[in-house]
Amino acid sequence: MTSANKTGQTPSKRAPSARVSDHLFAAIPTIWLALFFLAPLGFTVVYSFGNSLFGAVELGFTLKNYQTALSGFYLTTFLRTVQFAVTASALCLVVAFPVAYFIARKAGRFRTLALVLILIPYFSSFLVRVMSWQILLARGGVVEVILNFLHLHDGPLDLLDTKTAVFIGMVYAYLPIAIVPLFVVLDRIPGPLLEASRDLGASRFQTFWAVTLPLARPGIATAVLLTAVPMLGEMVIPKLLGGSRGVLMGQAISSQYLQSQNYALGSAMAVLVLIAVAVVVAALARLTKGFAEVSA
Amino acid sequence: MTRHLLLPQGSSKRAGFSRRSLLGLLGAAPAALALQSAFPGRASAAEPVSGGALNVFSWPNYFSNDSLAEYARKSGVTPNITSYDSNETLFAKLNSPAGADFDLVIPSSSWIKQLADRGLLQEIDHSRLNFGSLDPSLLNRDYDPGNKYSIPKDWGVLGVVYDPEAVGGEIKTWQDFLDAGAKPGVSGKVRLSDSGWETIGMSLWTHGKDWNKATEAEIRAAGEEIKAFAKHVKTFGGLDPNQLANGAIVLAQTNQGTARAAIALNPKLKFVVPGPMSELWVDNYAIPAKAPNLDQVYDFLAYQLEPAVQISETQYIGFPAALAGLRDKLPSDTKDVDLIFGGKDLDFDKLTSFVVDPATVGVYLEVQTEIQAAAGG
Repeated sequence: MTSANKTGQTPSKRAPSARVSDHLFAAIPTIWLALFFLAPLGFTVVYSFGNSLFGAVELGFTLKNYQTALSGFYLTTFLRTVQFAVTASALCLVVAFPVAYFIARKAGRFRTLALVLILIPYFSSFLVRVMSWQILLARGGVVEVILNFLHLHDGPLDLLDTKTAVFIGMVYAYLPIAIVPLFVVLDRIPGPLLEASRDLGASRFQTFWAVTLPLARPGIATAVLLTAVPMLGEMVIPKLLGGSRGVLMGQAISSQYLQSQNYALGSAMAVLVLIAVAVVVAALARLTKGFAEVSA
Repeated sequence: MTRHLLLPQGSSKRAGFSRRSLLGLLGAAPAALALQSAFPGRASAAEPVSGGALNVFSWPNYFSNDSLAEYARKSGVTPNITSYDSNETLFAKLNSPAGADFDLVIPSSSWIKQLADRGLLQEIDHSRLNFGSLDPSLLNRDYDPGNKYSIPKDWGVLGVVYDPEAVGGEIKTWQDFLDAGAKPGVSGKVRLSDSGWETIGMSLWTHGKDWNKATEAEIRAAGEEIKAFAKHVKTFGGLDPNQLANGAIVLAQTNQGTARAAIALNPKLKFVVPGPMSELWVDNYAIPAKAPNLDQVYDFLAYQLEPAVQISETQYIGFPAALAGLRDKLPSDTKDVDLIFGGKDLDFDKLTSFVVDPATVGVYLEVQTEIQAAAGG
């Protein structure tokens, strides 16, 4: 009995203490998130149903703010923002995929160097990186000089403050975030699978289409997620490179909060963006689920 | 003083880069130092403080470093300065418990009334300061009659900088501006302000309306006119003087500071404050209702209002301080001195200051957003 007790006690003594410390470690980020993420989010949701006073919100329950946010100008802005984020994210993906593919499968011993080079710009401020495009794209700037030299363009180039400039800035700023997850999946595709595909008579394109691309799906989904979601709220790049023309959601929300001091409408608009993000995440989660089946 | 960039990046304080980046436009640092020594034995406030704290909440880079250092040496108080980048941010902070520690803030004319009406500012004790040295045309204006809550710090105007050759004529009114912007060769090279009342204001003034009294319908009607014009606009962003110098923009709404920087790069350009009306903005010293260090605030304000400090401030931030007769007191080698004061014949009677009214400010903003959207891109 004594021995049984002893053997029984030892693990039961250890287990709770281990559990307490586990809980403690889990509690810190949970409390952090609850305090600084969920609480403000809760305020936003509550505000979105309230009545706006200038610089304050009278709590209550009205759908008025959502009606405004989903009608006329604001609806157009919302749809334009979604379209904008999807397009920019797709562009990013198109540029990132070949780069990631090259690094993962062709770069050999230079792959680490290539990855480091891609990540190095992150050591400087986002604002500085975007603003440097103002200099490159301006009249008489480097881009104009190069295009003129290559005879691809003649005369002054007015790219700055255009939609094209915004897309250039977007793809540039988010490219590394798209490359990294793509690199990770492409790197993990076992070589023998591709060889098997070839042995079974598939052409290079067929192999890519039927083997590589489906296996890269989670990477694609992650890349889209990591680029499209922040793009939905992007406001710096359109401001610095697009001349603040064609207002997007991020800017519209910020001006409701700050200039109009209309927290209720700003909140409703923010909640709508969150819903859009949730839809994107859910769709991509489905896409990634397919991968679990493939790899299992 | 550290040597600052001579050229501003932007024209509007809401543009990400403030007009306050116009540092050192008036000339080099040595001039400021020379001036300080040229005004020895400044008369100071009755009972100078010695030591203590002073928390200032201001636009970034909005005080001359030399003056601040001099003040710290003299009084033993080193002003602790934190900064904001928009009046709205200032309002939000003062309106919350986070604003309790501030002793001195610098709101623009447009926001004085809002802040005062909400009890966020305290009345200024005029007996403790010398208002006599200040320019009378900057005192007792609509936004704060009798200067109960505000002391002018410096000011600027809304005007137009343009290339007369490209525009093909002279611009005298806001109607001229709108007509010129639609011309081929000018269309697509126009910059408008990102502030709703400054863009819609053009149309309201043209139709003889007061932007502080316009009804929602009038604001929207004026907005339609600007919306129709929006297709000619290249940017609402911060105005880089280089864009004016290299011809990417040939017609722009802006303040005199950015205009002066652009004209320094391209002397062909002209600056005008168009009629029938235009904007005067004044940034002001104001004391939050719960300011904890009143003695230090008044002592610092008395110092800031001294002529030598006002001149040094003007040189540092590039916009004129409120000192009466400031123009004649600037060093004789100051370049384009007329431009600092908004041009030679600036008529203060034809300038109006916007006053934020909760009933209409949202309309101005909403219409501005629509204007920017109508510009495409």
